[in-house]
Amino acid sequence: MLASSRWVYRAEAMDAPVMPVLAGPPFEDAAMPYLDALYNTAYRMSRNAEDAEDLIQETYLKAYKNYDKFEPGTNLKAWLFKIMKNTFINGYRKKQQTPPQSDFADIEGAFENQLSDEAGGRIKNPEDEFLENVLDEDVQQALDALPQDYRMVVLLADIEGFSYKEIAEILEIPQGTVMSRLYRGRRLLEDAMLQYAEEHGYLRDGAPTKMRSRGAGRRSTGE
Amino acid sequence: MNCHEVRQVVFLVTDNEAGQEVVISFRQHLETCSECARQAQYLQRLLTLVRQRCCRVSAPAHLRLRILATVRRDGTDQDFQEGL
Repeated sequence: MLASSRWVYRAEAMDAPVMPVLAGPPFEDAAMPYLDALYNTAYRMSRNAEDAEDLIQETYLKAYKNYDKFEPGTNLKAWLFKIMKNTFINGYRKKQQTPPQSDFADIEGAFENQLSDEAGGRIKNPEDEFLENVLDEDVQQALDALPQDYRMVVLLADIEGFSYKEIAEILEIPQGTVMSRLYRGRRLLEDAMLQYAEEHGYLRDGAPTKMRSRGAGRRSTGE
Repeated sequence: MNCHEVRQVVFLVTDNEAGQEVVISFRQHLETCSECARQAQYLQRLLTLVRQRCCRVSAPAHLRLRILATVRRDGTDQDFQEGL
């Protein structure tokens, strides 16, 4: 297996354009520091080590072959993530036979309302107790359970720390879409974590989240 | 900025995506409104929690070596062939 893959890469390497020597740091020095970040995201997206390894190897090979097209001084980390995203969508996503993702159009339309009424309403009644008791597994499980499009945006923003603009470039979607997916993804994440917390009995009142949010006005001290 | 406007920008501010003027009015409102302050604090804590508790998975050593072997091959192979 090693021998055959070696030949594949040799053949591809010979077709690769000649690297510009003075254009920037050598590929290895520039790109290898992002390996762990790319792998972590790939692992969370594919949810298994084997697919994540294949995805990242292919990503690095593509990046290496196209490194002459990378503009020195621009964001290499975002460029590498974009290649990974395209590789993931073209290959691994199909392989996983994921059902079609939800249509975002309706979410975009309701974006403003969601942000003010729901997303805002969600955090109306902070559950400090809940946050303190959430388990690592709950966070992982909630993240893994997110639909892929939301998971990708949440991973890029909240785990990798990319800006909205960078995420828009990586995913090749408008910045408004990044924002709506991010906010909705976080809400789903919070929902799932609250649900696990209820299942584990961390929350004293078992009331559904939405009811708790609605009851935000009960902070009146007259009782 | 009123409570409604604060809720419109709470994510932007938390994500460091808001302009300086917005951030200033946002903070001014929070100083006088405990409910909005609690919400903003909750959001911040929630996001910190996700960041901290989501264990990062490092790339396995064999993957690193395999990639390095691939991207180094270009030059080393040529040298090797010329040496023959």
